[in-house]
Amino acid sequence: MKGQTGKFLILLFALASSLTVAILIGSESISFSRWSDLDRTILFDIRIPRVLLGAGIGAALAVSGAALQALLRNPLAEPYLLGVSNGAALGTMLAIFIAGEVEIIRPVFAFIGAVLATVAVYQMARSKAGMNVERLVLSGVIVTTMLSSIIVLLTSVLDAAKLRSFTFWLLGDLSQASKWGFILVSAAALLGTAALLIQARSLNLLMIGERDAFDFGVEVSRVRALVFGVSAALVGVSVSAGGSVGYVGLIVPHLVRMMVGSDNRNVIPLAAIGGATFVVLADTIARVAIAPRELPVGAITALLGAPLFIYLLRK
Amino acid sequence: MYRSISLPIIILLCILCGCSVRPESPRAETRLVKDDLGRTVTLPVTIERAVSLAPSITESIFAAGGGDRLVGVTSFCNYPEEAKRIQKVGDTVRPNIEAIVALKPQVVFVSTASQIETFTRQMESEGITVFVSDPKDIEGIFSDIRRFGDLFSTSFVASATLNSLQTRIMDVDAFKYEYRPTVFLQISKEPLFSIGKESFLTEIIYRAGGRSVTGDVTGGYPRLSKETAVSFDPDVIVLSDSEDNREVNEVFRNSRAVKTGRVYRIDADLISRPGPRMVDTLEKLSTYLHGEVEK
Repeated sequence: MKGQTGKFLILLFALASSLTVAILIGSESISFSRWSDLDRTILFDIRIPRVLLGAGIGAALAVSGAALQALLRNPLAEPYLLGVSNGAALGTMLAIFIAGEVEIIRPVFAFIGAVLATVAVYQMARSKAGMNVERLVLSGVIVTTMLSSIIVLLTSVLDAAKLRSFTFWLLGDLSQASKWGFILVSAAALLGTAALLIQARSLNLLMIGERDAFDFGVEVSRVRALVFGVSAALVGVSVSAGGSVGYVGLIVPHLVRMMVGSDNRNVIPLAAIGGATFVVLADTIARVAIAPRELPVGAITALLGAPLFIYLLRK
Repeated sequence: MYRSISLPIIILLCILCGCSVRPESPRAETRLVKDDLGRTVTLPVTIERAVSLAPSITESIFAAGGGDRLVGVTSFCNYPEEAKRIQKVGDTVRPNIEAIVALKPQVVFVSTASQIETFTRQMESEGITVFVSDPKDIEGIFSDIRRFGDLFSTSFVASATLNSLQTRIMDVDAFKYEYRPTVFLQISKEPLFSIGKESFLTEIIYRAGGRSVTGDVTGGYPRLSKETAVSFDPDVIVLSDSEDNREVNEVFRNSRAVKTGRVYRIDADLISRPGPRMVDTLEKLSTYLHGEVEK
């Protein structure tokens, strides 16, 4: 942390508070004084795994957004907008379609889908003149809509019962949190953040320009492959566990940059903390807003994220 | 040359055909009937060609004796056996308008009111009547069958069916039980869906001698919080049996229903269709909740 210890502590405090609130409230109230078996089940089997899954997904998505924005020198680079999330979603759907019971292959297929989508967008956006903001966003739109169409086609072919769960899952759904899922996502989020943090200096140089970075001794193509690979893994693992939760990778890094500037050595770890806080809060709203019914968390992040995004654009 | 020969032949054929044409031509008398949306619609006195856009309606029409007049049904209409051989015209949510028009039905029976206005306009421009049938409970299903008997002029078949269905209902209603077990009806395992206040199944469970634990939840088929589901700790869990809903949700692992082995499956087709087989559902539920119903 380069002189940002105070802000780092503030964000950590925010994360701790949101985790506490999320664990304390839910559709059922828990009596902490008179501890029953039911309270234990609700807390340890249902609520805490879900809250931690949300934290892991939020951190993973925010960090991959921050890294992609730096690498592509594009403030609009975000897993959801670039179609990377949709690639992972399509991969997960195929995994469920091919081998529904084997849960372990879902993140693998999601990762492959995310990598393919990333490469497709990157290749489309690249031109002899280099890559400009508009070209990248347009490529993202093309890949996103194409993958959406394939997903819609697939859900039409699948039978109605499966279709119902997919439509909910596509909007982000943390209710299916399993212990296995949140351990995988949290581990991926930690490792991914660490891996990207090691590249933070290179990313800082890349933000100036690829040629300048190269002159400073950055192995541009190696860093690029690494950032693409790590962010695809983060997105793949997140989507396979909780569906497509949008806007996290866009909103959180921007807010963090407003706080601490654009040095990636600060942005990446703080985005991880901020992303975790954001999704934990959004999912708490999804859980309690119309309890005992539930809302999809992706709808909440989009509802909170879109106005914030418009505000950021106008500033 | 040809014309002079063919004209008398055509006239002769017309006369011959005229003899064999039944008195009620398609444009014969019509009558006004009120449907379940309260709209007054014009129907031919006897329906000769009809399309059903809901599996429950198809079952009710067959039960009422009008099945042979169905020329088009949805791809989900799999009961009775004869329904499988009828031309498919898409499903309830996405009916194939062209396929329906090509079948030249006099009336299309629909269950849902979504986009009914657009659909009705499209059908009416082709001279096809749209009739909404949306029963809310067992009595509604019965009056539906009676009405189909009337519309298809097969009231005698409908009455016979109704008699036997009503006898079966009375057996269930007459059954004496000591207590009402609490029931959780799991519609979908992941995400967890159940039935709410507005589902007709809440009433069916009550009638079978149980009480739906989600009876106070708003909506028809709410997506339910797992915390709430587990804290209900129902006596009985009933699964709407379909490919992705064969097992109870993981949160019920330690519930009373699972521990005491009171988890039952009822075919999703039986549970989800407000048609004549709802009586089967009622009987099954009653048996699961209170043991064998006296016959």
